[in-house]
Amino acid sequence: MAAAGAGAPTKAEVLSLFRSLLRTAREFADYNIREYAKRRTKDGFRHNKNLSDPSAISSVFSDAKSQLEIAKRQVVVYSLHAPKVKSVMEIKQA
Amino acid sequence: MVSKLLLRKLHQNTSSLRRLSTATAAAALPTYGSGEEISMKGVKISGRPLYLDMQATCPVDPRVLDAMLPYYLSRFGNPHSRTHLYGWESDLAVEKAREQVASLINASPKEIIFTSGATESNNISIKGLMHFYRDKKKHVITTQTEHKCVLDSSRHLQQEAFDVTYLPVESDGLVNLDKLRDAIRADTGLVSVMAVNNEIGVVQPVEEIGRICKEKGVFFHTDAAQALGKVPIDVEKMNISLMSLSGHKVYGPKGVGALYMRRRPRVRVEPQMNGGGQERGIRSGTVPTPLVVGFGAACELAAKEMEYDEKRIKGLQERLLNGIRAKLDGVVVNGSVEKRYPGNLNLSFAYVEGESLLMGLKEVAVSSGSACTSASLEPSYVLRALGVEEDMAHTSIRFGIGRFTTEEEIDRAVELTVHQVEKLREMSPLYEMVKEGIDLKSIQWAQH
Repeated sequence: MAAAGAGAPTKAEVLSLFRSLLRTAREFADYNIREYAKRRTKDGFRHNKNLSDPSAISSVFSDAKSQLEIAKRQVVVYSLHAPKVKSVMEIKQA
Repeated sequence: MVSKLLLRKLHQNTSSLRRLSTATAAAALPTYGSGEEISMKGVKISGRPLYLDMQATCPVDPRVLDAMLPYYLSRFGNPHSRTHLYGWESDLAVEKAREQVASLINASPKEIIFTSGATESNNISIKGLMHFYRDKKKHVITTQTEHKCVLDSSRHLQQEAFDVTYLPVESDGLVNLDKLRDAIRADTGLVSVMAVNNEIGVVQPVEEIGRICKEKGVFFHTDAAQALGKVPIDVEKMNISLMSLSGHKVYGPKGVGALYMRRRPRVRVEPQMNGGGQERGIRSGTVPTPLVVGFGAACELAAKEMEYDEKRIKGLQERLLNGIRAKLDGVVVNGSVEKRYPGNLNLSFAYVEGESLLMGLKEVAVSSGSACTSASLEPSYVLRALGVEEDMAHTSIRFGIGRFTTEEEIDRAVELTVHQVEKLREMSPLYEMVKEGIDLKSIQWAQH
């Protein structure tokens, strides 16, 4: 986390992190986790969008970056053990 | 020569027996079709049911799983091994988890004992405490709506010549504070009232009860398994002496829990698990590092997410209740509507039979009554303590909403429930009579 000393992230970095988190969230094999990850990302970024203090922005940015690492690992773990039958919510109703 | 023949015969017999046994085993196991459907216990469903039973257990949060995995892979040491890295890193992880659990309830890490779950913590609190103070204290007060393990431990104490008062609850599920105050005697050793009920979701006035116990000088134990991480708990403000915590109700792993034991003024218990003196001598046995790490991570997450989850779950609960009430009448909420944890909604549907309703709701994972008592045919004792009539008690369904529940799942649950209830009511002669305006209570049923 030495990069945090470089100052607040730029708008481009924040947007890129947001898109990476959403992209990773979409890959979860489990319906509930997938929806939660997408929703929590959007709500989390929206909640913090008006922060002005650079150290606060840096800290939530690095927190989100570590969440991205966790999400990437867990997407792999969940896909290794994905159940053969999906949730009823994912099955198109006739 | 003879022995070879015997061996071959034995092998043939056992292998055919084995074939037989696997055949019967296969019949009992669910068969997962080629990605098409699941067939189990004679029911065919097209996919995994949507999960609305959060009071029974919660799925493990992926962030919790991520914290636990290293301790199953490379950091597998025993935290009590003092002589090598494996033990040291494991011990560090356990102590970190202890701090995470303690900070969620505003306690000191020295007051947290890891156990195998809230049931074990309840056993230690009730039996352990009373056994320690058995010379001076002979009386325990608890309520009629407690979890089975609390009631069973109290019954066990009764068999050992302790006195137990089971306080009744009001029709909204809350304890009457005056009755509690009157029930406390000079030799009362413990008052045990759960913070949030697992069946009906009512939140007891823990702070007031703590105040009463403090002024009367009685230890206060609360089973906070359902409350942890969902409603804010502060052991100092609520004057709690002992508290049982459970891992798998806060999106942590199953098989771990904790007991909070106050140090000032000191609470002492007789240990239920004897052995090498781990966990301050209160609970011997190797502390399961991965489970404990998961529990700690879950507690830290719960502290961060409590506000967000609560707002969201409240909205989902309103959506569920309003959705059902918009299409159906005769829907009763069991337990107080105001003093309730929003993630637990226990509804009774009049003129409908509970088991048949559950059979029809196979695409929704809900429960009727608590998971512990669902094996018996008796209506739930909690609902009986509320004064709910037998027919309504039989037809109660408990919807559990959690962090991962989506709006679409709520809408689908509403749709399925309404559809099933309407279908059953259409078939019900009792409902026909009610629609014609006949008062069911005034009917004289003729003997045949």
